[in-house]
Amino acid sequence: MGVEAAMAGKAANAPTTYSPSPSQKPARPIFEDVDWVRADGRNFHECRPAFMKTGAANAASGSAYAEFGNTKVIVSVFGPRESKKAMLYSDIGRLNCNVSFTTFAAPTRGQGSDNKDFSSMLHKALEGAIILESFPKTTVDVFALVLESGGSDLPVVVSCASLALADAGIMMYDLVAAVSVSCIRKSLIIDPSSDEESYQDGSLMITCMPSRNEVTQLTLTGEWSTPKIHEAMELCLDACSKLGKLLRTCLRDAASV
Amino acid sequence: METSLAQGELVGEMEMDAYRRLFPLRFYERYLLESLRPDTRPLIQCRDTSVALGPVASADGSALAKIGCTTMLAGIKLEVMTPVAESPDDGCIAIEFHMPPICSAIVRPGRPAEVAPVISKQLTDAILSSGMINLKELSLIHGKAAWMAYLDVYCLDSDGSLFDAALLAAVAAFSHLQIPLVSLNDEGRVVTVSAELGEGKSSKEVVNKEKRKLKLTNIPFSLSFVLHKKYILVDPNAEEESIMDSLVTVVLDLSGRLVSLYKPGGQVLAYTSTLKDCVALARNRGKELKKILDDALLDMEEDSS
Repeated sequence: MGVEAAMAGKAANAPTTYSPSPSQKPARPIFEDVDWVRADGRNFHECRPAFMKTGAANAASGSAYAEFGNTKVIVSVFGPRESKKAMLYSDIGRLNCNVSFTTFAAPTRGQGSDNKDFSSMLHKALEGAIILESFPKTTVDVFALVLESGGSDLPVVVSCASLALADAGIMMYDLVAAVSVSCIRKSLIIDPSSDEESYQDGSLMITCMPSRNEVTQLTLTGEWSTPKIHEAMELCLDACSKLGKLLRTCLRDAASV
Repeated sequence: METSLAQGELVGEMEMDAYRRLFPLRFYERYLLESLRPDTRPLIQCRDTSVALGPVASADGSALAKIGCTTMLAGIKLEVMTPVAESPDDGCIAIEFHMPPICSAIVRPGRPAEVAPVISKQLTDAILSSGMINLKELSLIHGKAAWMAYLDVYCLDSDGSLFDAALLAAVAAFSHLQIPLVSLNDEGRVVTVSAELGEGKSSKEVVNKEKRKLKLTNIPFSLSFVLHKKYILVDPNAEEESIMDSLVTVVLDLSGRLVSLYKPGGQVLAYTSTLKDCVALARNRGKELKKILDDALLDMEEDSS
């Protein structure tokens, strides 16, 4: 009876558990009405209150914490460090991104594993904004942990990551601000919460460099009509430029202390 | 002491920082002679410690603990399980400690920290063996349903004394934990009910009638030390832990009983008298931590009322 057998026995005996929250959602509630209001009382075109702060983790070269409503995210940047030997020589730097969630981030308990999808989206959203030529042969790590998932997680991670990169002194063309819009029936709502996201018919996310007016990433999912897409893009870009100003203020405040 | 003169000259010639990096131990010893540490602390002083309750709304109980720069976030999720036949009235607690890549330069995705599973085990041992939580309190229906409390502790910033901060966050999360209102639905599954609904629907049996908190007894608190020669350094930071490799961790409950004591190797043989000093220091620290936790609980009650 070795340790392995005991361990295997333990794993086999681990009880199966379930979350006590009702599995059935209440029927699609109020979106059918023409003049429904959002659960948190916001206007359709109003973002959640945002709080951002750089220097959240001391062990990192740079870091930032962002809180948009209930969405809470921490991003640490490490490096530049020597790239792995196995990698081919490259005269531009490499970016390595990883996004993971805590097990208690969502209403039902998750596995807390890496989110590969978000990791690659984050990588592509930031890549265009970073001056990779400024750190040849080396790698910069951008790691994000979503402490609580309250909706629009990826845009918050992207904005927070660009702050962390700036805090780490990594050269960028501009900060990256990201905002998403959900389409529910006939309405466009900006910066959706988790509940709103679960009812959306379509979603649009834009990550952009506000002061250069360049879009680094645009994702569109679900059902859209062309005029709606235009309207949503205008909304996103407008919100991005406002968020960009917020990000700048945050950096300026940190520098002046 | 004849070497100290030569070293003194060397210090003069070299930049402070370079000397610190090249001869870290000698650098530290110069400070220890003056009973001080490079971060200006006396040897037996802990770093600033704070606890915040309920930072994560999606968890049933959560807490953020900070000791100096070391930051820990603990969250508890309650799920329902069928208790094992031998103990039909007992709930269960599953504890895990995580070091995500954000916390330190030595952890990367695919290259996890070696200490994480060790601290997981230590946390489980300390919390379960102290008897802090009466597992009977987690019972719902005899033999049919009980709570499984999943406690996950995340290290957000790692700067030494990880176990102390993790245990503090874990204990604080349990003291913040609120057991929700639940009832049985028609399929025999336990579901949550909102407070208003619970009163209105009398047809369904409400299993847990009011929101309640766990009664915590014999709360364990811990304090870590590094030993070097005759010196005891309390609450070491990451640099101190890496330079002086004899780490001792003492876990005591509030009545001063020893829950556990770790001395995993290291160069210095810990004499019994040294260990006695450590236990005495840990006892005082326990009182300090209890006060910090009580203050956090008071603040939260004032906020909610």
